[in-house]
Amino acid sequence: MPSLRAIAPLTVAAVLASTTAPAAAVEHVVTMLGMDYAPATLVANAGDVIRFINDDSEDHVVFVPTNGFATDLGTVKPGEARTMPVLKTGTFEVECVIHPSMLMTVTVTP
Amino acid sequence: MNARSLCAAIAGAVLLAALPAQAGPDRVELPADYQTAYTLYIKVDRPDRKIVRFMYVNPEALAAARPGEPLPDGTTLVMEDHKARLGPDGEALRDNAGRFLAEEMVTAIFVQQTRQGWGEAYPPETRNGDWDYARYEPGATLALKADQKYVGCFSCHQRRAARDYNFTFSVFVKDAKR
Repeated sequence: MPSLRAIAPLTVAAVLASTTAPAAAVEHVVTMLGMDYAPATLVANAGDVIRFINDDSEDHVVFVPTNGFATDLGTVKPGEARTMPVLKTGTFEVECVIHPSMLMTVTVTP
Repeated sequence: MNARSLCAAIAGAVLLAALPAQAGPDRVELPADYQTAYTLYIKVDRPDRKIVRFMYVNPEALAAARPGEPLPDGTTLVMEDHKARLGPDGEALRDNAGRFLAEEMVTAIFVQQTRQGWGEAYPPETRNGDWDYARYEPGATLALKADQKYVGCFSCHQRRAARDYNFTFSVFVKDAKR
């Protein structure tokens, strides 16, 4: 029969494991309006999802040119949305293929 | 033929030889071994079409390119399309970093190349600096795709005139060489 001194650390570890479950994934909403991304900077956790919504009156094309994150979400028409999971930590830029002045930065933390 | 006619004929031939080559894909060169001779510098996931775009650059341009400067004469950028690997649900499979897994087969090859003076063949409102474009059919021997239209290449890349008409390589140079 294990001693109480041996069991205690195991009990503490079990309690910690049950109370420190990973945070649920968050969906971050980015709107495209007035030829801008809002917000212009975003911090997300790895595992989150970014939803780009076109609230503008023109087509936009969400594009990430940063190596390791590069993604082209294709044409997003007014009223449409596209999602992009962020699984890798780091910082990347977001552009619009059609409108070069539309820029934002995303930082993904562990 | 008298001497004056002969001189005129020679002058005409010299003038023709000095004219720039015909604009268009025929002058855009791509070596058959580009996949090994060039550098694969970035992959772009395209979820809406479930493809992955492999981007290559020739070694001379990779060495000579400088952040914020026009790309060197002779820069050749290659965009090679691959289908994304799909799971049983039809969705693209991803690696641990969230990046698409790509099928090995190449489905399309697009080339963007710049050579001094090439832009003169196009009207100012459509030219992309000195860049020209070509689409090649994948295969053991590369051949230009017949009946390919390039107006879309010029109009889309025109939007990146501020960084020498390209979407990824100038950003790669900026990030890698600062």
